Amino acid sequence: MPDWKKIVREKLGTLPLTHGRREEVIEELAEQLESAYEEALAQGINEQEALQRSIAQFKDWEKLRREVFQSVEGTHLPVWEQNGAFAPRRWPVWIALALALSLLLVPAFRQALAILLVPGNDTTAWCSRIFPEKVLRRIEQSGDKEKYARALAFVALHSPKEDDERAMHAAEKAIALDPNLTWISAKVSHPTYLYPDYDPHPWIERLKAWDPQNGFPYLLEADANVHYWEPPWTKYAASAAILRQSLAAERRWRIPMEKVFAAPRMDFYQLHRDAYTRLLPLLRRGARADEAAAVESALAVLPRFDYSVGGPAHSSLKAAAKRSAQVILISAVFVAVLGLLTALWLVLVIVLRWKRNANSLSHLLNRLASPLCFAPPALLLVSVALFLGYYPYARSIAQIPSYQELEYGYVPVLMGLDDLTSFVPLTDFWVAHMFWPSLWCAAVALAGACLLWWVRRLTRPDRPDAA
Amino acid sequence: MAIMPDRELKKGNAELLILALLEEKTRHGYEIGKLIAARSEGVLRFHVASLYPLLYRLERRGWVKGEWEPAGGRRRRYYRLTPTGRRILAEQRSRWRAFSGAVNRIVEVRHA
Repeated sequence: MPDWKKIVREKLGTLPLTHGRREEVIEELAEQLESAYEEALAQGINEQEALQRSIAQFKDWEKLRREVFQSVEGTHLPVWEQNGAFAPRRWPVWIALALALSLLLVPAFRQALAILLVPGNDTTAWCSRIFPEKVLRRIEQSGDKEKYARALAFVALHSPKEDDERAMHAAEKAIALDPNLTWISAKVSHPTYLYPDYDPHPWIERLKAWDPQNGFPYLLEADANVHYWEPPWTKYAASAAILRQSLAAERRWRIPMEKVFAAPRMDFYQLHRDAYTRLLPLLRRGARADEAAAVESALAVLPRFDYSVGGPAHSSLKAAAKRSAQVILISAVFVAVLGLLTALWLVLVIVLRWKRNANSLSHLLNRLASPLCFAPPALLLVSVALFLGYYPYARSIAQIPSYQELEYGYVPVLMGLDDLTSFVPLTDFWVAHMFWPSLWCAAVALAGACLLWWVRRLTRPDRPDAA
Repeated sequence: MAIMPDRELKKGNAELLILALLEEKTRHGYEIGKLIAARSEGVLRFHVASLYPLLYRLERRGWVKGEWEPAGGRRRRYYRLTPTGRRILAEQRSRWRAFSGAVNRIVEVRHA
């Protein structure tokens, strides 16, 4: 006859019931096994099979252990007594936590997090978060003192709209120090139309002289000559055709526009601006000044962007980048939520390790900690998803060989992140554009679930089929 | 209205089944499990892994009381109804009769 109490005692393991109830429970469950065993023998079943049948009545001993404790004591089994796959006394949860944290050592993962931590979709707002007014002033002063042209250019590009005097002043000094920065004239000349008595033409002429093949300075000139949004042109605005006809009759508009169309190329200096508004602040914020300098150098030697090179291949690159942005953002939301839950779980299990007396507070903490044991492995999964989503774009911009790749790869990822964080109708993104990201996330979740299931089986010695 | 699945129906009335069986006499866990299967002619089968936690819960609430008694050369834990358990049984039985009667009146009557 098998030693039923011994079997039950081994299967249940530690069961911290009060008032000696543990031995009573063991004896009662042993009685159940013995009765089932005897009944099976009486039916003519051999001993081995009868034994198996009897034990198989309780398929999940860990679940039974939890339920017995909860029923007897009226509270959850203490987390440090739990034997589940992700209980704190077992290794998988700590391995998962360590792996999730070790991802922080990977520069690409840190870069992904850094990008996501920048909120908003407006470039000015985006940069003002990183470089508030006080910091801008400091940069300006240090630029003035150290004749640091790039810093002054940055100031020129990021000055608040109501303080464009300072932008012009900084731009003047930056271009004087480094004529390669003359392109910032385009930015400085454009938004200052609203200032009375301001003349943008010297900036435009400077730009034309510096970049004579480009049609963009002539576009700025046409805009500066004729403010078609102001009277008397507004009287033609009711019909676009009539407005165009009237503008064409105006020499100050027509002549520069003809030069726009005759120019060999058109460069809006968008990528120069992107570099300054998005990439450089990121690098500088992370105290990666060397890399920032490398980026600037790389931009200086890159071939000029050719808008005639495009087509389906680049469109598909752009679409892929945007999808990646969506995956990154979804993963990031989960990383943030699960990161918080993991931190909470960690605090709770540490407190519960130290505070082992059974009172209402420890019961409450235990009740919170028990379901949170899945947070660390889930955090690992979503962190991997985030890492994989961002990895193709994780290299330094200085390593990107062409403007095309920058324009159709890296920048759309950043733009995609911005688009998603802004308020958009549900049908625009979360329904129409979420198919592939959802599929990707579902695949990661499925792979993760399989992994969790495997680990759970692996670490449950009470299961007869466990490894 | 959602239709109550078979499993939910059993789960919701598990307490009533146990209390009703203990009304007649004291019984041990193995006997309770067997009686539920036998009296329901196999329709209701109680998983033993759920039976014991449920018995302990009822005992903690003070609806039943378990005591060790000798039986056939060994000892078994027998459960009996407490006065509170009897009152709860009466309430649950009354609710069950009202519910099953209402359902029967709808299901069994053939409309012209």
